[in-house]
Amino acid sequence: MTMRNDRLLEVWNDTVDGHHLIGSLIIGGAVSLGAFQTAEWLLGMFIDDPRMARTYAMLFGIIGCVVGGAICAYLFRPKREVVEDTVDTENLQGVLAALYADYGSRGGVEDLPEAVRSELRELELEEAFLVYERDHAQGDAVAVTERDLGHAGREGVQS
Amino acid sequence: MMDALLAQLPVALGMGIIGAVVFSAIGLISGSDETTTIAPLTLLVVLIGVPPAGVYTFFLAGAVSKHMTHAVPTALLGIPGDTMATPMMREANYLRQLGVPHIALRKMISGGVIAALIAVPVTVVFALLLAPFGGFVQHTAPYLFLIAALAIAYFSPGRWAAVLALGPFVLIIVALQNLTAAHGVKLGVSYFLGIAIGPLISDLFLVLSPAERARRKRDRPARFSLAPDVKRWSGYFPNPLKVLDSRQTGWTIGTAVASSLTFVFSPVAMTVIMGEVVASRIRHVYHRLTTTLAVRNGVTESTYIAEALIPLMAFGLPLSPVAAGPAAPLFNAPPRFTVDSASGQVNNLHNLLGTWEFLVYGLLAVVLALLIAYPFSMNYARRAAAFVSRNISHEAIIGTFVGLILVIGLWEGGLLGLLVVVTVGLVGGFLSRLLGFNIGVQFMGFYIAVLTVPALTALL
Repeated sequence: MTMRNDRLLEVWNDTVDGHHLIGSLIIGGAVSLGAFQTAEWLLGMFIDDPRMARTYAMLFGIIGCVVGGAICAYLFRPKREVVEDTVDTENLQGVLAALYADYGSRGGVEDLPEAVRSELRELELEEAFLVYERDHAQGDAVAVTERDLGHAGREGVQS
Repeated sequence: MMDALLAQLPVALGMGIIGAVVFSAIGLISGSDETTTIAPLTLLVVLIGVPPAGVYTFFLAGAVSKHMTHAVPTALLGIPGDTMATPMMREANYLRQLGVPHIALRKMISGGVIAALIAVPVTVVFALLLAPFGGFVQHTAPYLFLIAALAIAYFSPGRWAAVLALGPFVLIIVALQNLTAAHGVKLGVSYFLGIAIGPLISDLFLVLSPAERARRKRDRPARFSLAPDVKRWSGYFPNPLKVLDSRQTGWTIGTAVASSLTFVFSPVAMTVIMGEVVASRIRHVYHRLTTTLAVRNGVTESTYIAEALIPLMAFGLPLSPVAAGPAAPLFNAPPRFTVDSASGQVNNLHNLLGTWEFLVYGLLAVVLALLIAYPFSMNYARRAAAFVSRNISHEAIIGTFVGLILVIGLWEGGLLGLLVVVTVGLVGGFLSRLLGFNIGVQFMGFYIAVLTVPALTALL
């Protein structure tokens, strides 16, 4: 089923299509309840203790929840745009500016223990940190410009 | 003793593996809160009659696994894997923006591994130290719950608003209990589920209301960037001690021990506080990010283990937010496990397992979780995150949880049970959103209603 942008809503911290949501509620409810009630009726014929029959019926009800969820997942695609590999290394200095403004830092890369420093080197981040620390030497780290913060700064704060 | 241990070993092993596999998968799905998933499945395991050792390893291996794989969506997609993952979002997001999300992931998971292994023996020793006070605690439980509830409320985001809101909230639960009792229905899990899933229930009501729906309109799908993953070791099972440097290992061990001792506080709050304490002692900003992540995820493991095990071993009473919530069925799952509010008598894993069993099966559960969740999340994180975000729509997750509400509510109390889940969820969801009267405080409110209120009215 196709989604429509004019029906998108934010529910429980993610985006859904209103019509798909109604569909999911009906399918999820019907499949789980159907499984529970059917199992209770069928198991009641074989298990003498009605309490145990009802407990096993709950197991089938929970399996029904998962099956209902799987049907919904098949019918309704996620309303997410997943973009791959978009780490924007050009803006590293901007990210670092936001990071230093947010946390502050005492001491530079040179003062790090060798293990941490070689980790930074392996990640190819050592240079970026060194450049940033050189450009913002002597307690200047807090004085970042709006341009430096840019997109990364806003995302950092938002999280 | 050895005979008893060996006799239950197969079932402990089998249930531990099931718990680890099931909750490794659930951990990948963002928004799968611990209480809504761990509590009903553990309840089910209790009620179908699995032997005590199996119940215990299922719960513990499940919780430990979930708190490892929850790092996958948190690090790679920037969506918290569950409630306990939210305090790690900020640091994980920065590492994602620096292009090294796999470092965030590995630091978190390795911290979790180390902390989980340490937490079990520390917890057992601490429970033994507290055990002599067990009789006193069981005797004074109604008042201890009141004190714990007030403290947890004060330290919640709502502060005094949460403390004062305890009154009306407890009143609602007492009223609902009297109502269902009048129809011969006694409910327990329905309240837990209602509290845990309250944010979803209140959101569903909100989007039905036209004014609020307009505010929640979005003009395009949510956008996530899935970060690349780089494997930097050979083989299948990376050594956690090589992923963390020595200071990170030290801090992870220290905070795991410390957070095992503070078992009455909110696990999310402990995760935040321990992270802050360590962060303030690390000088360089990069080192601070990675150390905070290792420590925080370690604390999500150790605090969960301690909060479930210490009250269970020492008192048999659910005297912590985790014990009152996700671990509730280990204490209270009538008719099999019961806590009698009048006499303080308990009949649950507290009586059914001995100290050695708690220790040996506890370590077994943690090791099983490590063998399954740790290499899985280290090796397949990216593929798993891509699969979940591309194939499992939020509608499907909501449909699953709504199914769960219907099944558990109707199973426990018929239509009345279902109405209680919805009522508690709606009220609790709004109180949490508007006042910061969060889920941990609500669980304690439930226990005040069932333990403290009867004790106080008996005095009058």
